[in-house]
Amino acid sequence: MAGVSTKITTGLTGLAVAKHPHHVLGVLYGKILRTLQKMPESAAYRKYTEEVINERSQILKANQDITVVEKQIGCGQIEEVIVQAENELLLARKMLDWKPWEPLIKQPPPNQWTWPPAQPQPQGK
Amino acid sequence: MSLLRQCLQRVPSLRPFKTNVCKTSIRWASTEDSDVKPETRPTVRKPDLVIRSQLKDFGKYVAECLPKYIQTVQITAGDELELLIAPEGVLPVLQFLKDHHNAQYSNLSDIAGMDVPNRECRFEIIYNLLSLRFNSRIRVKTYTDELTPIESCDGIYKAANWYEREIWDMFGVFFSNHPDLRRILTDYGFEGHPFRRDFPLSGYVEVRYDDERKRVVLEPLELAQEFRKFDLSAPWEQFPNFRNVLPASEPVKPDSEKK
Repeated sequence: MAGVSTKITTGLTGLAVAKHPHHVLGVLYGKILRTLQKMPESAAYRKYTEEVINERSQILKANQDITVVEKQIGCGQIEEVIVQAENELLLARKMLDWKPWEPLIKQPPPNQWTWPPAQPQPQGK
Repeated sequence: MSLLRQCLQRVPSLRPFKTNVCKTSIRWASTEDSDVKPETRPTVRKPDLVIRSQLKDFGKYVAECLPKYIQTVQITAGDELELLIAPEGVLPVLQFLKDHHNAQYSNLSDIAGMDVPNRECRFEIIYNLLSLRFNSRIRVKTYTDELTPIESCDGIYKAANWYEREIWDMFGVFFSNHPDLRRILTDYGFEGHPFRRDFPLSGYVEVRYDDERKRVVLEPLELAQEFRKFDLSAPWEQFPNFRNVLPASEPVKPDSEKK
């Protein structure tokens, strides 16, 4: 019977088998997309994350069979994909505060990243 | 790490390539074609150009996503990706690398410190991350001076707790919002930070057994000489074979700048 999971274990410690992966993932992806919509259109983070999420949710909607979904997403078992989506949601919400699409916050001090280290200039010159 | 990588290269099935993944998974994409002459000398490590261009692409991707914090992206030692970030960006960058779908650096392998006294911000803090999902590593570097605290990343990686205590103990870099910032490696009552360049090799105190008092005593050490600055430059050239050696790191420029 399609849609009913007969899986017993994920084989990963602390990661239980998801009972309704389609529902859980659909809700998570919807939340992520809504969070991303609060960001400016030009933000690269929004653009790339929307691409990933849209592709994954399309795969999810197109297929009822979980094994096919797992194979097409290609990022581990469906339970791991759920964990990834949860992480992305938390990250997206924090990104709204951080606003990483703004220009560089400050330049490094001179010679901060030179290697081998720059020699100190002699005094009085 | 390089041993592991060599083993991986021997076993074809374990190579970090995949074919049947999402189109948006940029981690397996590679945009550069490699027309560099292959290395033939048997004792020289052969660079893996595919992995290298994947790393470069990923570096550009992160720099595009987080332009506010990333100052430079570079590749060192042939195939190690480094992000050089402003100290304000420690939490956003680490959180992004941990939680983003295309990064998933879920493991903090180590936090290291470095002291270069003649820089304006003398300490470098170096985070080494590992992504089990994509079998790749990344290094995040930031800087601080003696007084400016760095934001603690204990809330992101639990492993950071002890590593940050080590840095605090050895270098005296303060981590704000750390739950339990104490010394971890040195003895009770120890003073100073031993990995700083101006810390004497012998330390400031010595411990010895006093025969008269029948116990161990701790005494201040008499330093044989004042702190001296040695001029180590020689009139002759010491390593002529390394005159034309490659630079230590190779910067990865964003695509828009290159064109």
